[in-house]
Amino acid sequence: MAALGVPRWRCLWRRAAAPLGLRRPGRALLGSRGYGQDAGSEADKEKSDVTKPCFTDELVQRLLSKMTGLDLQKIFRPIKQELKPPTYKLMTEKQLAEATRKAIKEAKELLKMPPVLSEREPIDDVLAEDRILEGTETVKYVFTDITYSTPHRERFIVVREPSGVLRKATWEERDRMIQVYFPREGRKLVPPPIFKDENLMTVFREDRHEDVLNLCIAQFEPDSANYIRVHHQTYEDIDKHAKYDLLRSTRHFGGMVWYLVNRKKTDGLLINMIQRNL
Amino acid sequence: MVHLAHLLMKNYHGGHVAIRMALGGCANRPFFRIVAAYNKRARDSKYLEQVGCYDPLPNSHNEKLVGLNIERIKHWIGCGAHVTKPVEKLLGLSGFFPLHPMTITNAERLRKRRALKAIAASEEETPVTCWCGFTESKARRDNYDNLV
Repeated sequence: MAALGVPRWRCLWRRAAAPLGLRRPGRALLGSRGYGQDAGSEADKEKSDVTKPCFTDELVQRLLSKMTGLDLQKIFRPIKQELKPPTYKLMTEKQLAEATRKAIKEAKELLKMPPVLSEREPIDDVLAEDRILEGTETVKYVFTDITYSTPHRERFIVVREPSGVLRKATWEERDRMIQVYFPREGRKLVPPPIFKDENLMTVFREDRHEDVLNLCIAQFEPDSANYIRVHHQTYEDIDKHAKYDLLRSTRHFGGMVWYLVNRKKTDGLLINMIQRNL
Repeated sequence: MVHLAHLLMKNYHGGHVAIRMALGGCANRPFFRIVAAYNKRARDSKYLEQVGCYDPLPNSHNEKLVGLNIERIKHWIGCGAHVTKPVEKLLGLSGFFPLHPMTITNAERLRKRRALKAIAASEEETPVTCWCGFTESKARRDNYDNLV
């Protein structure tokens, strides 16, 4: 699922990075990176940077991936798959080293962090007003351009209201239509009820934050309100109960640290990391 | 290379490509595919290319979904395809074509009929007679501009 998602997000990253502008971190940042643990450099980053670092900066990404850790046992733990009997291979030391290296490379691929974008602006664009048509229809018409080669972000999706107004479709309508005509694996037309606030509480009590976040990534676009809301609530809950280890070696760790750093709630996390001697 | 495909295909004399709707679906559940086909072909039979779809029944969000492959429609129109009236009306509603004149005419006719009905419903029984002896209701006489 991560492999499927990565190319799309890479192009989203490029689009996200372009308007924000990849800012080079200041000299003070580069100086502080040399010494101390990551806990120390994090605090320095906050005090001494003049330009606000982006999530997509290389330096930020490196720091975050270092903090995420690489626990192979946790990453490659058995996921629900078809039942097949385990295969045993006889390998020499060299082959084992080779296999471990490949596993580490694949693990790094799986640990690619999903993008963190700001919430998207609502679309509010009227293309034409034909008041003559008012009252002829009781139903909206939704026209989607199903040309295969256009990227989904640039697709034309317009709505003709019963009042005769021709407007661009809202983000929710756009997501729904694109899912109808170009269905994506793991995404449902109607978001499952797990993302409602009451149900999220139940899931958090069972410590299944990672599953919720994976489902969220599959279901929503990274800059939609629902995605951001679910992620923020998950991070808040983890911070409240100090359950940082749940996300320790997953691809959501970086996003959580970024969120906590931006809101200056890093105390619990720093204590946790010092206790584990990271 | 030897090109044999055109010899094997059916040759139409004076036919043209049409972008039209092919009906599919089940009983009491129509579904149209917008299709580029030779106009002599049967409505639902072999077409050159499917270029869109139209679902005439509204969904749970009260929308009728229409998918249009704009790039291919442009290509076929560029090749000289004719477009049938229902497809022209749909394309007019979508904004790709200008609004079809019949859409506007039907809208105006509907409006007039509704106005008439409203007057007939609110007609008071106060007949007004003109000098030649022609009797009609006062409300109708006052609203001639909306009717004509």
